[in-house]
Amino acid sequence: MNSRTRVSLLLLCLVIAMVAAPAMAQDTTLTVLCTPQEDWCVAMTEAFEAETGIDTNYVRLSSGEALARIRASSADPEFSVWWGGPADAFIAASEEGGLIEQYDSPEAAAIPDQYKDPDGYWTGVYVGALGFCSNVDVLEELGLEAPTSWDDLLAPELQGFVAMAHPATSGTAFTAFWTVVTLKADALEAAEAGTGYDEDGNPTEAAVDEAFAYFTELNNNILQYTRSGSAPGTLAGQGEIAVAIIFSHDCTKLQQEGFEGILTTTFPEEGTGYEIGGMAIIAGAPEPDAARMWYDWALTAAAQEIGPTVNSLQLPTNPDAAISELAVNLSEINVVDYNFAAAGASRVAITERFDAEVASAPAE
Amino acid sequence: MQGIRNNQQVKQFRALLKDPLLLVVLLFLIFFVVVAILLPILSIVRESASDDGRPLFIRYLSDPVYQGIIWNTLILGTLVGVIGTAIGFLFAFVQVKLNVPFKRFMHLVALVPVISPPFALATSAIVLFGRSGSISRGIFGVRYDIYGLDGLVFVMTLSFFTITYLNLRGMMEALDPALDEAAINLGANRWRVFRTVTIPMLLPGIASSFLLLFVEAIADLGNPLVLGGNYEVLATRVYVTVIGLYNPTGAAVLSIILLVPSLLVFVVQRFWISRISVVSVTGKPTGTPQTIENPFVKWGLFAAAMFVCLMVVLLYGAILHGAFVNVPGVRWDFTLEHFDFVINGIGSQAMRDTTVLSSIATPIAAVIGILIAYFVVRKQFLGRDLLDFGAMLGIAVPGTIIGIGYILAFNTPIMIGGVTIIPKLTGGQAVFGGALAIVLVYITRSVPAALRSGVSSLSQIDPAIEEASVSLGADSARTFRRITLPLIRPALFAGLVYAFARSMTTISAIIFLTTPQTKIMTQQILNEVENGRYGNAFAYCVILVVIVLVAIGVFYALVGTNTGAERRVKGR
Repeated sequence: MNSRTRVSLLLLCLVIAMVAAPAMAQDTTLTVLCTPQEDWCVAMTEAFEAETGIDTNYVRLSSGEALARIRASSADPEFSVWWGGPADAFIAASEEGGLIEQYDSPEAAAIPDQYKDPDGYWTGVYVGALGFCSNVDVLEELGLEAPTSWDDLLAPELQGFVAMAHPATSGTAFTAFWTVVTLKADALEAAEAGTGYDEDGNPTEAAVDEAFAYFTELNNNILQYTRSGSAPGTLAGQGEIAVAIIFSHDCTKLQQEGFEGILTTTFPEEGTGYEIGGMAIIAGAPEPDAARMWYDWALTAAAQEIGPTVNSLQLPTNPDAAISELAVNLSEINVVDYNFAAAGASRVAITERFDAEVASAPAE
Repeated sequence: MQGIRNNQQVKQFRALLKDPLLLVVLLFLIFFVVVAILLPILSIVRESASDDGRPLFIRYLSDPVYQGIIWNTLILGTLVGVIGTAIGFLFAFVQVKLNVPFKRFMHLVALVPVISPPFALATSAIVLFGRSGSISRGIFGVRYDIYGLDGLVFVMTLSFFTITYLNLRGMMEALDPALDEAAINLGANRWRVFRTVTIPMLLPGIASSFLLLFVEAIADLGNPLVLGGNYEVLATRVYVTVIGLYNPTGAAVLSIILLVPSLLVFVVQRFWISRISVVSVTGKPTGTPQTIENPFVKWGLFAAAMFVCLMVVLLYGAILHGAFVNVPGVRWDFTLEHFDFVINGIGSQAMRDTTVLSSIATPIAAVIGILIAYFVVRKQFLGRDLLDFGAMLGIAVPGTIIGIGYILAFNTPIMIGGVTIIPKLTGGQAVFGGALAIVLVYITRSVPAALRSGVSSLSQIDPAIEEASVSLGADSARTFRRITLPLIRPALFAGLVYAFARSMTTISAIIFLTTPQTKIMTQQILNEVENGRYGNAFAYCVILVVIVLVAIGVFYALVGTNTGAERRVKGR
């Protein structure tokens, strides 16, 4: 009898609340759209909650999903601040307009200019390089060395043994795509000036087409396009594939968490891409004050030192933050001249084309 | 004749109008079906028929990539339908026609897939039979590529064959053994009896099992997401179109393409197969079914069924085991970390939310289902068949489509003349953080089973009993509560169990509806699987199964049952 009463009470509450519009308290809560790995999201929201007393919730979505979700709910935003994930998606959001808003944070002065948007739409919170995360045992069986160039991934032995995420959902995968675009543009430019880059310094259509040709070829070796950018790393760790195209810090994280000696990180010698993890305030944020507090806080050295505590080993953008000795230093590897603005501007068109031409095409 | 029947209908309809309580309940049921089921489906139709949508039909249907995806979907549905029906038939045949040991064990094993999130099997298939699977690699030393059609068919048949097993078993038990005896007396051998008597009698059951499995397979989202590899199907395409590209119009168009075969199957199954049914209805079967004694046939079938059992036990065993080890497949040391994550850690919110929402939806779904059954079986009114049909759409339509329909229908409040009729149910700032939409979807998906078990239960009860109650002066509400309800308690129990299990394990319908405030276990499991944290995913699965089992115990205590209730948990 008791439980029946409880059920009917619950129902009654439902009906009452349907009638009464939900009243929102002013910024005692904060909803964060969080793109990096889940445990970092947890550590960040818990630290922020401890610091400010604001009840902080997060939803983890990969950056393409995050962008889609912000667009879907732009009339009535669900989130107040978007933290993490490659800046390309943030640039795409600011280009589109009405999705994220400018904020001139007092803390942003400490961040070097190359890590923030001149118009103030987003500020970088971390930096990390793309790499190849390989399972040494599987490679040995296949008789291959860990890949050191993008062309190594096309080896016929690797058929069905490579994985990356889908650029439509994942910023990691989009970074990989744009890295190849940049390399192709460099090659074209070296052969004949003006063919790789247009007058504005953006890669030409020809360079983009060559990148598509590369990924169409690579498609034959891809086992699966995952939703989340870091997921291929665990596939490699579990021996389901040989090579994952992921951010090197995600590979280091896996090595720290049980895959030590199983996974190895390598970089393409001709050059690899990197991400600036962005942060922005959602336009029309339901909790604007709390969102700004988060924004300021996330740029401080203290907040940027939380990552390594959960094995998230991206480099901090705040020069005062301590750098973990496990982090990959960008100055030690060959990094392409990644044009974030052009990447962000082309993001939507490229992901749609990728989805139509590459990902859903049957592998031979 | 026609005139008289019409007259009677009119009379009954008038009687209905005179009973205000009945009328209110009926109007409420119609309102529910229209708002919770028909409106979302119509929204999809409207979106796909819009100016942006119509050209997409031509684009998708003429694009070889999309043609390939549609083809993939149909092949998958057909294979799962054929193999799943064969396995279900095998299990039913072993139960009814063979005298072999471990029958009870086989029966229980066959029921297990009903209460677990279906894609749990996909994950454990990777751990056991993947490139580094404990069995494929560990025992046979091969790096087997399980991703794609073969893996999907394997996992889906084992997830869904319970439906066919229960259906066919029910039919086989109802077969009159006298027919077999007659055939044998006329000189037919066993094989001939099987071929010319048993199979034709069961044909409608086999056909409807095939169709049910076909629909389950083409509607499934979880398994293809985890195990699809490069084998893309419509359900995953719809998902990427919404989640990755946010293109609701494209998703609506693809939904309609997916909806066509699903609805076709539903209509065929409802209006054709039910009509050609040849099962001999003579009341109780006379005599007991004869068992097959040929040792080759007997032990061959037994071995086949035991092999399937072994697969199910292995897959679920891997889930249970994996929940307690550090990194399933890589590091096998014992840990309770995963359970700590689900019970005390950040996973606990999903566990609580899902249980609470399912507990709210379950009694409502069971009651609505039983009430619709009551009206359909006992009352005459205009649109009676439509009400039945509309309610059944809740399960005939693939979950992803229901989910997208909800997004399209309820993303803005529905107002009539400036008054909010239905508040904003989905997306940002939705009422109750979107929980109401999820509860509605749970109810929508569970009503059909309660409705069907209510209908079959009510049709067996002589209306004279209720008429007697009315003659003695009880009104319709009292009669329903005091006479009808106690008589159909097993149906109510089955409805409750089914609704709860279905709500706890559903993913495709709610994956677009979760919000920052509401976290759902099945979605969390998928996230954990996607990110390779199989241990957490398995711990979620184990706890989910425990919650469902506890709930079944609670329903049993509350509602009770008098006739083999587990036999009535039909059709997922």
